[in-house]
Amino acid sequence: MQIRDYVLRRLLILPVLIVGVSIIVFALTRIGGSPIGIYLSHEMSAEEVAELEARFHLDEPIPVQYVYWAGGVLSGDLGWSGVAAAPVTEVFPDKLAATMELAVASAIVAVTLGIGLGTFAGARRDRFPDHVTRVVSISGAAMPLFWFAILLLIVFWVYLGWFPIGRSDAQIFASIPHPTGLYTVDALIAGNLTAFRDAVWHLVLPALTLGYGATAIIARMMRSSLVEELQEDYVDAARAKGLPERLVLRRHARRNALIPTVTVIGLSFGFLLQGTVVAEIIFRWPGLGRWMADSVLRGDQATIMTYVLFTSVLFLVVNLVVDVIYAYLDRRVVLGT
Amino acid sequence: MTSAAVEPTPTAAPAASVIASVRDLRVHFRTKAGIVHAVDGVNFDIRNGETLGLVGETGCGKSVTARSFLQLVPMPPGIPVSGSILFRPRNPCPDCLGEGCSACDRTGRVSSPCPACSGEGCQHCDQTGLETIDLLDLPDQQLRDIRGDRIAMIFQDPGKALNPALSVRDQLGEVFFTHRSAELLDAAGIDPDTQSVTGRMIRRKANMRSRGVENLALAIPPLRDRRVALASAADGMVAAALAETQIPNPMSVMDRFPHELSGGMKQRVMIAQALACNPDLLIADEPTTALDVTVQARIIELISQLQERYRTAVLYISHDLSLVKRVCDRTAVMYAGQIVEVGDSDQIFHDPEHPYTQGLIEAIPSTNRERGRLEAIEGTVPELIEPESACRFAGRCPHTAPVCTTHDPVLEPIGEDRLVACFIHNPPATVPTEQLPRPDGRLL
Repeated sequence: MQIRDYVLRRLLILPVLIVGVSIIVFALTRIGGSPIGIYLSHEMSAEEVAELEARFHLDEPIPVQYVYWAGGVLSGDLGWSGVAAAPVTEVFPDKLAATMELAVASAIVAVTLGIGLGTFAGARRDRFPDHVTRVVSISGAAMPLFWFAILLLIVFWVYLGWFPIGRSDAQIFASIPHPTGLYTVDALIAGNLTAFRDAVWHLVLPALTLGYGATAIIARMMRSSLVEELQEDYVDAARAKGLPERLVLRRHARRNALIPTVTVIGLSFGFLLQGTVVAEIIFRWPGLGRWMADSVLRGDQATIMTYVLFTSVLFLVVNLVVDVIYAYLDRRVVLGT
Repeated sequence: MTSAAVEPTPTAAPAASVIASVRDLRVHFRTKAGIVHAVDGVNFDIRNGETLGLVGETGCGKSVTARSFLQLVPMPPGIPVSGSILFRPRNPCPDCLGEGCSACDRTGRVSSPCPACSGEGCQHCDQTGLETIDLLDLPDQQLRDIRGDRIAMIFQDPGKALNPALSVRDQLGEVFFTHRSAELLDAAGIDPDTQSVTGRMIRRKANMRSRGVENLALAIPPLRDRRVALASAADGMVAAALAETQIPNPMSVMDRFPHELSGGMKQRVMIAQALACNPDLLIADEPTTALDVTVQARIIELISQLQERYRTAVLYISHDLSLVKRVCDRTAVMYAGQIVEVGDSDQIFHDPEHPYTQGLIEAIPSTNRERGRLEAIEGTVPELIEPESACRFAGRCPHTAPVCTTHDPVLEPIGEDRLVACFIHNPPATVPTEQLPRPDGRLL
C-alpha cells in the first residue's frame, strides 16, 4: 500500500472519529447539569424558565438535545456565550487565532529544541554535554508551568525589560489590517517588518514557557531512542561503508530514532493546548484560555463544548499528521494496517 | 621468563603476496569486573586472493578481531592496547586502467610502491617495497576512504545490518556517492571540475554534502535536471551491483525496503553493497549464521564465485567448522583471545596439531560415527579478566604439564606453512624436560 492510500484511508476515518468525540463531549458536559443556568436571572418566574427551556429544547431527552446541538454546529450556530455576552461564533475566531498562534509557536520551539537537544545529547552519551542536557530537560519537565512562567515574567519583563507581555503594541496593531488574526502572518502579509518583530517579540515569553515543558519530554525521548539506535548493527554497517560520522548520525540513526519521538510530539501537542490556559492568563495573552477559565467557573456550556470539541478535533488532526510522518519514516507501519 | 616475548610471526609466504597482516593485536574491554583481554596478541596474515577462515567458539574474540580492521570496535568500553594491522591497498592497474590484463593478473588492480622508500623496501613497508598502511593508526578521512572501498564487511544478520528506514536504492547508492562520486558525475554528463555555483552545488550533492536549503534549490528545474541525471547514474550503478549477486529483478528490488525482502535477499543486498567498489579485502563476519540452511549454501557459493572473479581476499569468520573446511583455503583457530593454530585448511582438518583444534574437530558430528553421542571439549572457556601468564587452554587440555600453567605459548612454525602455539610442538629450551607435556601426546 502506498502512503497516499494510507493518508486517504485515515482522512476517511476522521469524520467518524469527530462524531464519536462530539458525542462524548456532549455527554460529559451534561454531567455538569443543564446549561440553562447561565441564561437565568433571579427575577425570572418558573414559567419564564420553562419557556426558555422549551426554546432551547432543554426539556427534551438528552439524545434529542444532542441532535439539535449537532445540527446547530453543522449550520454554524455554536450557541450563546454568557461570559462573552455574544454568540460563540462571533468571539471564537479571534481568540482561537491568538491561541493557535501561541500553540504553534511553542510547538516549533518544542520540536526544534527537543529534537536538537536530544540528538546532541544522544550522540554524546554519558559525556559532559549529555549530563547538562539531562539537567536542562528534566527541570523543564519537573517545573510547574505557572511558576516557570512567572519566573520568566519577573526576569525578562520586570527586571531586564527585554520582552513585552500581552499580544501586541496598540499602535502597531492599528497600523496594519488583520485578515487572519495570526499577527505574525498578518504582519508578513502587510509586509511590515516592525509589526512582525513586535508580534514575534510578544510571542517569545509565552512560547518559551509553554515550549520548555514539551521540549523536555521530546528531548528525553529523542536522546534515549538515539542511544538505542546507535547500538544497532546498521549504524556500524553505515560506518563500514565509509560514511562520515555526520551522515551516519543524520541519515541513519536519527531517522530511526525519530520514529518513537514523533509519537511523543503528537501527544505533547495536547499538553501544549492545556498549557495555553495558564500561559495566557499569566502573560495577558488574549486567547481562548482566559475565556475558557471563566466559562468553566460560570457554567457557560456553549463555550466549553465549542472549546472541547475544537481542541479534540485539532488533537485528532495533529495526530493524523503525526501518523503520516510516522508512516513516512517507518514503512513497516503502512503494511500493518 | 614468565611470558614469551611476541615477535612478528614468521610466515612461509613472501610478504609481498600478503594483503593484510595482523601483528600482536590486543584489544581489551573495561568492565565492572575488571579488564577483559578479549583479543590478546593475535598474529596472522591474509594473502592476496585467498579465503582465510577464522574459527573459534563464541566469545573467543573473532568478531573483535574482524571489527578492528575497520576500527568498528566501540571505544569505550574497548581499549586499544597495542598491535597493528598492516594493509597493502591496491590501485587500478596503469596498463589496463582497471579492465584486467596480464600485468595485474586480470584483477585490474596492482599494489603501489611504498612512498617512503619508493619500492626499495624499508621498515615502514615491512621490506616489501609496497605501500603499507596501519589500519589502526589512520587519520579519519583516510580510514573512511578505505572503509567500503578497499575493505568491505558483511555482517552476521542482514536483517539488522540494513537500515529499516531506507530503501535498498538509498543504502546501496550511498556507497557510490561516498567512493565513486567522480564516476557518477561523469556518467551523468556533468563536468566534475566546473567552478560555477550550480556546478559546485551538484558536486556537493554527488558527495552527499548538500544540506537543507541546498536540497530545496536542487529541486528547481535547471539544477533539477542535473540532479535527476546524477540520481539515474547512481541507479545504474546500484542495479549493476545488485545484478552481480544474481538477485532476481534488480530494478524492482531497488525500490523495496529491507522488511519487504527475505533473509537471503537481504544478505544478497549486503553482499552487493560490500562488493560494490570491488574491495581488496572482504571481511565476512558469520555471513550465513542467521540464514536458513538452504539459503546458506547459495550465499556461500555466491561469495566464492564473486571472490574468484574479482580476486578479493576474504576473511571468513565462523564457528561452523564444516563450513570453513569447505570454503577456506587456510584456517586460523582462535581460542580465548589468541590464535592457537594456523595452516592450510586440509592439513588443519585432517591433521590438527593443537589439542584445542583436535577437540574442536572431534566435536564435529560426523556420519561415520555412532548415533546419539555428541563429542564435547571438557570444561569451559576461562575468564579473560586479567589472565595470568599461562596457556589459556591448560585447564581443559588433556596434555597439561607444569610448564603450561607458568608459561604462555607463542605461535611458532612447525613444518611448512603451519603455525602452532603449544609446548608439545615448541618446548621452551629453558624449562626442564620433566615439566614439559609429552611430545607423543596425541589425542586422535
